[in-house]
Amino acid sequence: MAQRSALERRQALHIALYAAPATLLMLGVFVAPMGIVIGQSLTSEHAATFSFNAFTRIASDPLFLRIGVTTLEITLLATGFALLLAYPLAFYLAQQPPRRRALLMVLVLVPFWTSVLVKSFAFTVILGHSGFVNTALAWLGLPTIKLLFNRVGVVIGMSHYLVPFMVFPILSNLVAQPRELALASAILGAGQWRIFCRVTLPLSLPGVMAGVLLVMILSLGFYVVPALLGGRQDMMLANLVDFYAREAIDWPMASALSVLLMAAAAIAAVCLSFIPGGSALLGGEER
Amino acid sequence: MPTRADRGVSIIAWTILVFLLLPSLVVVPIAFGNSNEIIFPPHAFGVVLFRRFFTEPGWVAATFVSVRVACLTTALVLVVGVPAAYALSRGHFPGKRALALFLLSPIMVPGVVIALALYIYYARIGLHDGTTRVVLGHVVATLPFVVVTASAGLRQVDPALETAATIMGASRFTLFWRVTLPLIRSSIVAGGLFAFLISFDEVVISWFVARADTITLPVKMFSSIQWEVSAVLAAISTMLTALSVIICLAVAALQRKEAR
Amino acid sequence: MRDAATNGAPALDATHPMVRLDQVAKAYGTVQALRPIDLEVRKGEFLTLLGPSGSGKTTLLNMIAGMTGPSQGRVWIDGRDVTETPPAKRGIGMVFQNYALMPHMTIFQNIAFPLQIRRVPAAEIRRRVTKVLEIVRLPHVAGRKPRELSGGQQQRVSLARCIVYNPSLILMDEPLGALDKNLREQMQLEIRRLHTELGITMVYVTHDQEEALNMSDRIMLMNGGAAEQLATPHELYFAPCSRFAAEFIGTSSLVPAEITGPGMARLVDGTTVVIARGATTGLGHVMIRPESMRLTALPGGASTPNAVHGTLQDTLVTGGTVKHFVTLRTGEMLVIQELENEHRTNFEHGQAVSVSWPVNAAIFLDR
Repeated sequence: MAQRSALERRQALHIALYAAPATLLMLGVFVAPMGIVIGQSLTSEHAATFSFNAFTRIASDPLFLRIGVTTLEITLLATGFALLLAYPLAFYLAQQPPRRRALLMVLVLVPFWTSVLVKSFAFTVILGHSGFVNTALAWLGLPTIKLLFNRVGVVIGMSHYLVPFMVFPILSNLVAQPRELALASAILGAGQWRIFCRVTLPLSLPGVMAGVLLVMILSLGFYVVPALLGGRQDMMLANLVDFYAREAIDWPMASALSVLLMAAAAIAAVCLSFIPGGSALLGGEER
Repeated sequence: MPTRADRGVSIIAWTILVFLLLPSLVVVPIAFGNSNEIIFPPHAFGVVLFRRFFTEPGWVAATFVSVRVACLTTALVLVVGVPAAYALSRGHFPGKRALALFLLSPIMVPGVVIALALYIYYARIGLHDGTTRVVLGHVVATLPFVVVTASAGLRQVDPALETAATIMGASRFTLFWRVTLPLIRSSIVAGGLFAFLISFDEVVISWFVARADTITLPVKMFSSIQWEVSAVLAAISTMLTALSVIICLAVAALQRKEAR
Repeated sequence: MRDAATNGAPALDATHPMVRLDQVAKAYGTVQALRPIDLEVRKGEFLTLLGPSGSGKTTLLNMIAGMTGPSQGRVWIDGRDVTETPPAKRGIGMVFQNYALMPHMTIFQNIAFPLQIRRVPAAEIRRRVTKVLEIVRLPHVAGRKPRELSGGQQQRVSLARCIVYNPSLILMDEPLGALDKNLREQMQLEIRRLHTELGITMVYVTHDQEEALNMSDRIMLMNGGAAEQLATPHELYFAPCSRFAAEFIGTSSLVPAEITGPGMARLVDGTTVVIARGATTGLGHVMIRPESMRLTALPGGASTPNAVHGTLQDTLVTGGTVKHFVTLRTGEMLVIQELENEHRTNFEHGQAVSVSWPVNAAIFLDR
């Protein structure tokens, strides 16, 4: 690399200019606002002076602690359910011949590309007091259950949203596993269940880890689903940011909370990049 | 031959697929239900809800706003994103990896954080024009998708074509405009369609930075679902789902044409 | 092989060379892809860079093209120092193995492209494109797309695209590699014809030694990033400078030997032979071309200074040629080749034979 000629260096610089508009835009509309948020988080709430106040207030704020715990609980539940649903689906898809798999993937991609509002609205219909589920239960003579505006609704809504994100890394891992391993194990006498437990599952763990981390990063930022499907006690950290910003008009608090969310997401992203195949999920095109 | 375990997995998988498709499948019958109440399953069929969408104040206007915002977002993000992908995939300069990570970083930031940042930022710099506020936010959110899609397309281009054009005397810009861009046309269209869809459905950033004159359709839907759940939402949901399906199929068709 | 009448090289312009490489080298990190090379390509010459993969021939071509910059040294094209000049400004043409025709443009648009870059008026473009399509004998394909043409036709269009803007130099990077054998021979003739008609200087890269021998005025044989030998095809065939050259071009028989006196060498099996060409001291090999050798049965046959005795292992008849495989007392294998004819002597396997050759058919190679 140190021995490139002047000609090559000039060409390289010329090409780099093509990224200038995007870079400038990102600096002006992404980096600058983020900088302001970080700045706000280090500002005292009454004067424009430097202060760690916002962070200390958050650390001792019972609202934050409660909602933080709620967020963690909901995240873990939703991640767990998403994994439970995504793994069998990915397993089934991995066994299909490529053409059929591509067709079935369209069925997975449609909910992926459907607006979160449409999905949430649909769940208010499905889970509501006189909704789909309860109507069916009533018809069977069973008592109705409260599935909406509570923890259950939020977890169902979030799990549903997260399943496609969990399917992609697991599927890509399963498809990449060489066919010969299962075949060799079968020839050695192993049954299907043993092959799964001793061969397929362990090999798929990197994909599972990648999916779990990705889904957890997404869960941190969930706003719409808890707002529409949850109750007062199901508020998540993203909703809290909204509260501080626009109801309490406490920008330093909102900013400090945002900084914490960003830090958590960044840590998870760094963990993700250590998993083989993890950085490809983030859209990295370096191979 | 399919064993019992295989059949079991198949049943489970299909159940999960039905669960995934359930919301989309549920709103459509309700939308065509001939009633102003949300009843499932509907008793009669008709298009009264769709007619309400067109006649009730605000919905059509909000749709126009969304279309305008999505078109502007798509145009702007393609104009800055495709050349950036070109620089990343064809250039060899120090800091290229860092730049790639930088341009893709919005994916890693929770939407509400970007929304808050823009909210405070716009107040600070005094940017009050609703359309600009929303469009810029959407461009930041969709830039990673466009860069990734365009980069994938650029990787498929035969490098000898660009070498040949260069040797024949083409300047870098002529090369980019007359050789590279036509060759990645389908990636650009796919990226543009995704950007349009993401912008059209985007709610969190819009919710934070929109002004009274730029209420997008998702923003109006969001407040509607929160405050007064109206059956018209079923009709709107159906149309939005149709949009998603059409775009998904269009992109799939483009990809199949490429592979030919 | 080209006719060697006038020493192989055509009478050329001697004012300045079309291409001059002055101590040009290329290193990638610690890997030396190309050791410092000097090269002059005369105006109107057809010069081939020949060598196995990794010999550096494509790297060298890319530096003439300007796609890679040299780590050291200067590149001159048509009297100008172009080392810092970008490829687009060097005024050269290039033909690729996979044709590199723009799939989204018609044949006409493909050929017109370099003219449009040079802002040639539309009427003139039409005239020149039509003319150049006639030169490559494809007058009717202007409206088609590249994928509708065969490989050979695409390569001819690629050539047409090169010559339409009259570059002073055309580079060719293994252009016939993707074509099947028959087509390759046709295209070799086609390229030679164009070269003769148009007189454009051509630098050609290939790993196929037959192709190089067929087409070139001079060949630069390359090995491991360095120039092995620069000579006409005739010289390269009859006077290779090294073992690598002898083995890469044509087939050869090599016997380890040692110089024992002026013009004399002793082979490893003890026989002394007369050496008329090649190195004059040290250890090395005696190299003789298979078609220069003759087999005679033992006993009998002239006990000339240039004969060895051995045992016939095998005889292979392929079409019109006959190959005899003889092992010396010490185990080395010689290959003797003759044309098939009705009156040739039949030898038995295991028969003792004498292999002889004219005095100046053997070369002593010390490396």
